[in-house]
Amino acid sequence: MNKEYSKKGMKVIGVIFVIFALLVAPHEGEFWPFSIYPMFSQAGNPWTRAMVIDVTDHDTDEIWEAHSLENLRGNPVPVGKYGVDQIDYSNFMSKTRNWTEPRRMALIQMFGSENIGSQRWMASKVHGKMVGEDSVAVIVQPFLLFTADSVYMNPLLDESEYFRGGN
Amino acid sequence: MKWYEKIGVQLFEPGREQTPGELVFFKLFELFVIYYTIKFAWDWGLYTQFRNTEVVLPLGVANYMDISIFFEHNIALINAGLISIFSIAAYFRKGPKWLYMVVMVLLHIQYVARFSQGEIPHSQNLIGMSVLCFAVGAWFFPEKKIMPRFVLGSIIFFIGLGYTSAFFAKLIGTGINWYDGRHLWLWISEKSIDILSREGVYSANFLQELALKSTVAASIILLIGWFTELIGFTMWWKKIRPITTTLLIGMHIGITLSMNIRFDAFVIQLILVGYPWYKVIDQYIKSTPAIIHKWI
Repeated sequence: MNKEYSKKGMKVIGVIFVIFALLVAPHEGEFWPFSIYPMFSQAGNPWTRAMVIDVTDHDTDEIWEAHSLENLRGNPVPVGKYGVDQIDYSNFMSKTRNWTEPRRMALIQMFGSENIGSQRWMASKVHGKMVGEDSVAVIVQPFLLFTADSVYMNPLLDESEYFRGGN
Repeated sequence: MKWYEKIGVQLFEPGREQTPGELVFFKLFELFVIYYTIKFAWDWGLYTQFRNTEVVLPLGVANYMDISIFFEHNIALINAGLISIFSIAAYFRKGPKWLYMVVMVLLHIQYVARFSQGEIPHSQNLIGMSVLCFAVGAWFFPEKKIMPRFVLGSIIFFIGLGYTSAFFAKLIGTGINWYDGRHLWLWISEKSIDILSREGVYSANFLQELALKSTVAASIILLIGWFTELIGFTMWWKKIRPITTTLLIGMHIGITLSMNIRFDAFVIQLILVGYPWYKVIDQYIKSTPAIIHKWI
């Protein structure tokens, strides 16, 4: 490598950088592998994740109320054990706007009827936010009860929670 | 000399003679990139084939085409096979000099097919950038004496740029109070739910306990990490590079401990490009093996 090639190398990097900018600008900072690395850039916002809780041993009338993490109704089901990516599952739960029949049944498909067997699993949303100046509140909201062949919506929630319109 | 030419001198070291250790290291590094390229291609391909059902979030070229065609008929697996064959051929310098660019395009498609489900991970970005730099290097600087320097120099350039960019993304996205320790509390609680959901159990480690007990401690943790991102671009200077790299690796260990996010390929790559390993290899070999010459 001589100085001439070094100069040419920087010019090529400059061209890649321009292409980088042109691709990420209209795509919210992401055009893999180009990225402005915006993860964690918006701090302090409330978050929503999701869990699956095994409620097989609990009565139906006690499983629908929202509760704290310390008072889980049943044990968490380790979704990784069933080959499900936790982040994908969380996005599936939090970003679905209309829980149509096919969408609800996709939940069973995700985990597999054979894995669910005779158990009753609760797909719950988990909400976290700052409360006051010095604590984080985490609330578990039971959302969809599913078995090997059926999915039930939470009777305590308004229908608008399941059908929010749009796409 | 213009400012960008000075950066070029630091990245490409035009005055330094090429050594056997440098060429051996270059092929070892290329092997690392190829290994992860093939691994990611198959990991993503298998998940796409067996798990993806509909597009939740279109990324990259998925904004302009129906990427869901990759969810069926084993297309994602065929793509993984093509990426594997082309990568291996490119490693051994078989086929046209633009073969790495084909790998880059196919790998991009594989990524956007797999991550069309809402998650935007970044732990594979450095491997993607490396494939791109190999593609550009092989195409425009195929000479044996030039390509290794261009590839490694340009990778270092984009790594440094990426960290500093992340600093400014936070500054713009939140403001100067980004390092408020309570923000870390929210992230720790969020990630703890991910772990609990994925594995069924979760217990906080010592760093998380420390951060959750004290706003000051949590703020200091964030501030150290944020500052380290800011100085990421100092990797461009060869004398400072090992120090910056060590700080960045420390930051990643901190992220893993505080937020349970692992960046294995990322950290291994930092270890590989951040230190002058060729000097170590040069102590053991005095001439470049013929086979390495053939594959450069």
